Amino acid sequence: MSDPAIVTFIKALVLVLVLLGGFAYMTLIERRLLGRFQHRLGPNRVGPFGLLQPIADAIKAIFKEDIVVTAADKVVYVAAPAISITFALVAFGAIPAGPAKSLFGYNPWVMNLDIGLLYVLAMTSVGVYGIFLGGWASNSKYSLLGSLRSSAQIISYELGMGLAVLSVIMIGGTLNLQKLVELNVWSISPWLWPGLAIAFVAMLISGTAEINRVPFDLPEAEQELVAGYQTEYSSIKWALYQMAEYVNMFTSAALISTLFLGGWRAPGFFNAIIPGMASWPIIWLVAKMALFIFFFIWLKATLMRLRYDQLMRFGWLYLFEIGLFAALLTGAVIAFVL
Amino acid sequence: MLAFVLLAIVMLAGGIGVITFKQPVHAALSLVVTLLGLAVTYVTLQAHFLAAIQVIVYAGAIMVLFLFVIMLLNVQGQEPTPHLRWMRPVAYAVALLAAAGIAITAFVDRAPLPTADQVAALQGGTAEALGTALFSHYVLAFQLVGVLLLTGIVGAVSLSQRGNPAAKGAPSGSEAAPEREMSHG
Repeated sequence: MSDPAIVTFIKALVLVLVLLGGFAYMTLIERRLLGRFQHRLGPNRVGPFGLLQPIADAIKAIFKEDIVVTAADKVVYVAAPAISITFALVAFGAIPAGPAKSLFGYNPWVMNLDIGLLYVLAMTSVGVYGIFLGGWASNSKYSLLGSLRSSAQIISYELGMGLAVLSVIMIGGTLNLQKLVELNVWSISPWLWPGLAIAFVAMLISGTAEINRVPFDLPEAEQELVAGYQTEYSSIKWALYQMAEYVNMFTSAALISTLFLGGWRAPGFFNAIIPGMASWPIIWLVAKMALFIFFFIWLKATLMRLRYDQLMRFGWLYLFEIGLFAALLTGAVIAFVL
Repeated sequence: MLAFVLLAIVMLAGGIGVITFKQPVHAALSLVVTLLGLAVTYVTLQAHFLAAIQVIVYAGAIMVLFLFVIMLLNVQGQEPTPHLRWMRPVAYAVALLAAAGIAITAFVDRAPLPTADQVAALQGGTAEALGTALFSHYVLAFQLVGVLLLTGIVGAVSLSQRGNPAAKGAPSGSEAAPEREMSHG
């Protein structure tokens, strides 16, 4: 069932490289799409269609002067971006990308954990430390306000996310992401659909909040806080924060796809085109992730930022109750109808 | 065994850091190191579920709140106030007592190691095995702990409402800006 250690190691390495390469081109895709949304072209000068823009940006980021604030808490200041990117990268490892043994005879995942779902949630919640400590160690009030906001926001929206995920766990009866995908929670009973649909919306909202995207990007609200927790970071440390943000976006998109949209599976009718096509590894997961990532970018171009009190009120008074309602509904259906 | 020794060193270093660092944020971070080390120890003992819960609850939620409060109040390292001085000998005595208790448990009153079928019954500490044990064999203890936690929550709410009769249940969303100048580092 499991692969030899060396294969796992190589897969982990490839995954990290793919995620970082994905980050580089996500910045380009996001800027091109935002350009389109705002009736302009976006960066299209460097290379064909602007395809070399990420490389130009990377070279610029590396050669910029690395300014370290004199009054900063040096150790924490340097460690914080590293914490952010490390936990962002390891969180993705538990997400399955296809059926067992489908990737050239190897399993298309790095780890098939029995507690896969909890693992992803645990790693993303530890990743908060990066943002949180970076803002504190910068010794600037804007940075500190940004990190206080981000920790309050992430703790608040983790509740909604946990409750939304609970519906899926109750139906699936397992925390193993691979088993959840194989089970296909929507196929069990139509009675479960309302609960799952509400949980899906709650998960989408809290997933957006967890990765600090618009309309929940208060930790880096530029009009009030310059750039929030990353104000005092420059050069490659700033780039590490950017990487962590985009990798978290990938993880969030992959987790929502895996839990609610069947992960690496495609609808059965694809099998009528080419037999076995619906269970090809990787491509379906990437397609679904692209859907959500487009959605995140679309949100950024469409919505305005929430005010801080609106953010807290929405998280605690609406999202939490909606998630609780979905969990209770699903539980009631499982207990009394099925 | 080597893994345990390494982890024990990390955890002990974290624990020593908690009580020796003057800067409260550094002390809290040392505690995070200890808690994460404990989580990895659970993984080496095949208790994956427990490890995940340890990370989510302690490192991911409780310590973030600790740090949140420390940063919000902008606490600096301070010498203990005089009326707390008598606590020092008491603390030493309690620590000695605890160390003696651990030593007795470890060296004198040795519990037998779990047998192979006991280990098999744990099924690698999965959520399913843990849940079955909690809701069947230990259901009374589980519910009592639940009541205890509820008491704690009600107590915390009533303490925070005291002297503030106007306080409503709704979160005000106030973002108390730390206006004091920061001067750490």
